[in-house]
Amino acid sequence: MNVDLSLLAPEIALAVLGLGILVLGLLIPKGSRHGLGWVTALGLLGVLGLTIAGWDNQGTLYEGIFIVDRYAIFFKITFLTAAFLVTLGCMRYVDEMGDQSEYYSMMLFATLGMMVLASAGDFMTLYLGLELMTIAFIVLVCYRRTETRSVEAGIKYVLLAGMSSAVLLYGLSLVYGVTGSVTIYEVGRAVTTEPVPALILGVAMLVAGLGFKISAVPFHMWTPDVYEGAPTPVTSFLAVGSKAASFAILLRVFIAALPGLWAHWTMLVAILAAVTIIVGNLVAIPQTNIKRLLAYSSIAQAGYILVGLVTASEAGIKGVMFYAFLYVFATIGAFTVVTYFYNVTGSDEIKDYAGLSQRSPLMAAVMVISMLSMAGIPPLAGFVGKFYLFKTIVDNYLWLAFIGLIMSMVSVYYYLRVALVMYRDEPVDHTPISLSGPVALTLIITMMATLVLGIYPGPLSEVVNTAAHSFFLP
Amino acid sequence: MVLSEWTGVLLFFIGGLLVGGGAIVTSYLIHPRRIQAQKYEPYECGVDTIGPTWVQFKTSYFLYALLFVIFDVETIYLYPWAVKFQSLGLFAFIEMIIFLFILIVGLWYAWKEGALEWK
Repeated sequence: MNVDLSLLAPEIALAVLGLGILVLGLLIPKGSRHGLGWVTALGLLGVLGLTIAGWDNQGTLYEGIFIVDRYAIFFKITFLTAAFLVTLGCMRYVDEMGDQSEYYSMMLFATLGMMVLASAGDFMTLYLGLELMTIAFIVLVCYRRTETRSVEAGIKYVLLAGMSSAVLLYGLSLVYGVTGSVTIYEVGRAVTTEPVPALILGVAMLVAGLGFKISAVPFHMWTPDVYEGAPTPVTSFLAVGSKAASFAILLRVFIAALPGLWAHWTMLVAILAAVTIIVGNLVAIPQTNIKRLLAYSSIAQAGYILVGLVTASEAGIKGVMFYAFLYVFATIGAFTVVTYFYNVTGSDEIKDYAGLSQRSPLMAAVMVISMLSMAGIPPLAGFVGKFYLFKTIVDNYLWLAFIGLIMSMVSVYYYLRVALVMYRDEPVDHTPISLSGPVALTLIITMMATLVLGIYPGPLSEVVNTAAHSFFLP
Repeated sequence: MVLSEWTGVLLFFIGGLLVGGGAIVTSYLIHPRRIQAQKYEPYECGVDTIGPTWVQFKTSYFLYALLFVIFDVETIYLYPWAVKFQSLGLFAFIEMIIFLFILIVGLWYAWKEGALEWK
């Protein structure tokens, strides 16, 4: 059997890194595992370099069950960037939680699951990647195991993840039953425009199963509770990585495997996107806990990204990829501030952020820039991302574009409310917050990326173009 | 054409609402109302519990079961590999060594963390 292992190099390197961290944790005594965060971060940087170096190395493995095209590589770069930034920003938080080696190796295995998911060429690989990611996340979500909230979040996540996996598997088995194949591109050839009811049912179940993962609105109920209860770095990785990976496979399944049924699912996806945008933004308004606010805002963001799927075109895929990439920086920037603020003050309440601009100008600035980027204010990256997404639907789905526009304006209100608390109110406690090196580095990277991608999106846009183009070349 | 797309979605939502809401409404309308203290017990027809029921179980059982499953799965993969060993060749041999290595790291981890001790 001939297998081009160079295509698998990033995955192999990441698996070795994850196991290596676990073994290092066994060898190093419990009190002195602080360095593991740096080993993880540098290792992730190495894997990221390896992935970028493989940009021109495209191909499929094992008769099409593992696809390495630029689309997959781009998403892998997104996940690895996210994992790197989260690791860089969370070291102090993890040191306070303890059990560093397990935490970092679970984080790496979750990333590995995402990478498998982005490359999945058949339903079995899809499920394997999804479960690898989800099980690692289940462990991470209830990591503060002495805290009731974290355990509650873990139990909710287990139940909902199990249920969504079951629904997804039912959907996949129905699609397999009708088409007789589990390979995504073969299913795409077998599906015709005259569908049987079982296939429609399968597609609806796929929408529901993946809808849980991206927390689209009727399937979003778990998101705020899990996001609030999970350790903050895990929340940020869940919001960025898990969501981006689920979008990667959602696009692959719907556009490559089910293009024949496009007329049947496009309206369903459009309505889901609209409902998600509306509910996510409206429910975010009354929140008083910053993690819950960001959870609802991430639901709304999922709605915006879902817009890219509606037209099932190259431009739509481009919009999704571009938005997923810049969303990494905005979300991790905001969550790193939340993480560090919790380390210093032990609070996640918005009212305790009063006067943050005086205590730590950088933290307040990053929070505002990240939030304004999520709201889509020019010249920040979020504006460009929303522009690419909504440009695709203006011709045929003007109503959806209007909903997105109006709800973006609504979102400015609750984002600016946080900014107002940070800049206008007087702090109760005037002691300045001094940032540690890696956290400051994370904050500066995310802020610069959000600014630069907004002002000068050209190069990334070119990269995304070639990546989206590779999607249509099986 | 637009109309038919929308009709499908509408029927989907109406159907969902009817099935879910119908069950609740029907049971609310026809169920007999006899309120007794026992009705508020979690298990109405069981034996009354003695003492607090929120007791903790020993996790060692669970850890043993988990370790057992690891080696159970390992055996499942080892058998077909051993039967076809001659024809699979070196590549499969190295693959199996890697697979075993990962499992051994897991066992090492469990051992070191005290999963094999009955405390």
